[in-house]
Order: sequence, then C-alpha cells, then structure tokens
Amino acid sequence: MPVNDVVLATEGDAAAFERVYRAHLPRIFNLARRMAGPDAADELTQDVFVRAWQKLALFRGESSFATWLHRLAVNVIIERFRTLGTARERFLADSEAALDVAHAPRTKHLDLSMDLQAAIEQLPHGARTVFVLHDVEGYKHEEIGDLLGVSSGTSKSQLHRARQRLRVLLRKEA
Amino acid sequence: MTEQRPFGESDHEPLAADDMLSQAIGQWREDTPAADLWPGVARRLDVRTAPRRTRISFTLPQLAMAASLLIAVASGVTWLAARQPLTAVDTQPMVVAQSESTGEVEGGIVNANFADAQFNAAVTDLEQILHSERERLDPRTVLVIERNLNAIDAAIQEARAALNDDPANAYLNSHLADARRRKLDLLRHATNLASAGGN
Repeated sequence: MPVNDVVLATEGDAAAFERVYRAHLPRIFNLARRMAGPDAADELTQDVFVRAWQKLALFRGESSFATWLHRLAVNVIIERFRTLGTARERFLADSEAALDVAHAPRTKHLDLSMDLQAAIEQLPHGARTVFVLHDVEGYKHEEIGDLLGVSSGTSKSQLHRARQRLRVLLRKEA
Repeated sequence: MTEQRPFGESDHEPLAADDMLSQAIGQWREDTPAADLWPGVARRLDVRTAPRRTRISFTLPQLAMAASLLIAVASGVTWLAARQPLTAVDTQPMVVAQSESTGEVEGGIVNANFADAQFNAAVTDLEQILHSERERLDPRTVLVIERNLNAIDAAIQEARAALNDDPANAYLNSHLADARRRKLDLLRHATNLASAGGN
C-alpha cells in the first residue's frame, strides 16, 4: 500500500482510506477473531477501522502505521470486553476461576481434534487476551499490564494458566 | 509431554519451539471475513468524524504583516541595544526563565520549551521591573516596546488557541516557544536599558 494513502486518508480522503482498510484487513480481522472469537470478529473489525478513521489525525508517523493501527485495534477489542459487562475486576477474577486447572477435568472427554481456535474460545476473555497478545502477537507483560490496567505479575499469572489450560485442551491422546 | 508444569519463569517467557502450543500457533490458520466488511465501515465514516489534520496557511497580506512585525521587533530590539553600552547590559541582573530539560518528546514532537508557570513568573518579574523603571525611558522607546510586546502577545494567544485544537502539532509548539522567547528577550533588553539609565 502506498504510504501516500495514509496521508491522503489523514486529510479526509475516504477512497484512500478504503485502500488502507484493504491492506490492513487481514491482520486486524485475525487479531479480532483470535481475541474475541469468530462471532464478534466482523463487527469488531469494522469498529477498529471506524475508530482509526476518527483518530487518523492523531497519527504522527512516529511508529509505522501498521503498529499504530494494531495498538488501536487491541484497545478497541479490550474496550469491547469491558463494555460487555466485563469490568476489570471481573475480567480477571472470572479468568482465575475458569482457569483453575488444578481442578480441570482430564482430557478423555474432550474433543481431541479441537484446534487452537476452538480451544482458545474456551478461555475467558482475560486469559485469552493475555495469551494472544503475549504468545501470538509478541507483546511484553509490561505492555499487556498497561493495556489491561493490571500488573505485569497478573499478566504472567494469566499467561501461565492460559497455557496450561490450552495444553490440556489440545493434548492428543496417545 | 508435561501437562501440569510448575509455575516458574519458563511459563513467563516466549514458548519453546518444540512446545505444542508453539506448533499450534504456527498452524493457526489465517482467516478472512465471510462477507465484505467495507460497506459497513463506509456507512459509518461520517463526514463529521473525518480526520482533518490542521493545516496552517497564510495569505500574502498575512505574510507581509508577519514580515513587517519581525522587522519591527528586530529593529526595536536592535535600536534599544544600540543605545546601551554592552558592558552595562551584561552586568545587569537578569531574570531568566528556566527551560524544560528538552524541547523534544518521544516521537520527535517538539513542545514549547518554556513551562507556563516558569514563563509567566519570568514575564511578571520583568514587567514589574519595567513598570517601575519606565520613567527612566524615553516615551518613544516605551511606545516601541509596548507595540512590539502587544504584537508578540497576540502571536502567543493565537498559537495557544490553535494548540487547544491540535496539542501535538510540532509547528505550533515551536511557534509558541519562539514567540515566548522573543517576548522574554524584548523584556530583558528593555529592563536592562531602563535599569542602566534609559535614554
């Protein structure tokens, strides 16, 4: 995508913004799908690009546009989790309960052909968010803590539990 | 395979390449929306929410006026300085606004160099000195100083108003910092001149 399309979009050119949208759609859509699940991915993707349009004037080129857009997308998705009645405390408290792997059932009754997408949809929003941001998108715990408004220790704890739970869900029977 | 790893550093770190999760992530297929999402986005791109980066443009008369103003300020300061021996000026106590550590913030955006409180304090001090000493200045000198101070104040106010709409604008921040520096320079020269005996 020509860099000029971002500049033109910044000046209000909707046609240029459509080109920007098409260039970045795959990454944003898959981020939304992984963080929020396929049912919410379409709407969240649209929300991200509408928000990007509204905030484009704030993009100063200090980072790459892709980085700026990705960060904005993460924020939009996290906001959605919260407005869905997942207040911060509950956002993480639910995760703690749901991820209590010490009492998780063994895998014999689980669908062992389940792929990662299906497995991750069984995680609560908080744990799923931490896992996707850290292990898939490469964010650091400090960054995740900032995004979620929690300590990096909480992020580490969530990641640990999410990984353990996912291993259980993905484990193949011998 | 280790199903229940003990909680330790290894599970804070990036996954090992041979971890089953790494392999699962590597095989995690990319997907595309079932339908074109753009029409839904386009419908919501309200003109009222269109990004409009502030563009600063000047008409020729405005540019001519700005040039005249700069010449007037420079002339006034030069005229004042020329009437005052350098040694006398240099020995006068000066009120100096403390600049912030740098004019740069991350990402290369330049902010105004003078913190509001520091700038205002310095200006207040200098204006008080100038007010108490103005009787020692030639009325024509006072007129030139006041005219130039008014012009600079107008420039500062305009820059501040524009920054309210676009706080991160590097040009406006730089413009405001320049205007503030000009005001402080002019006040310093004027107070030095008055303190040294004026005319």
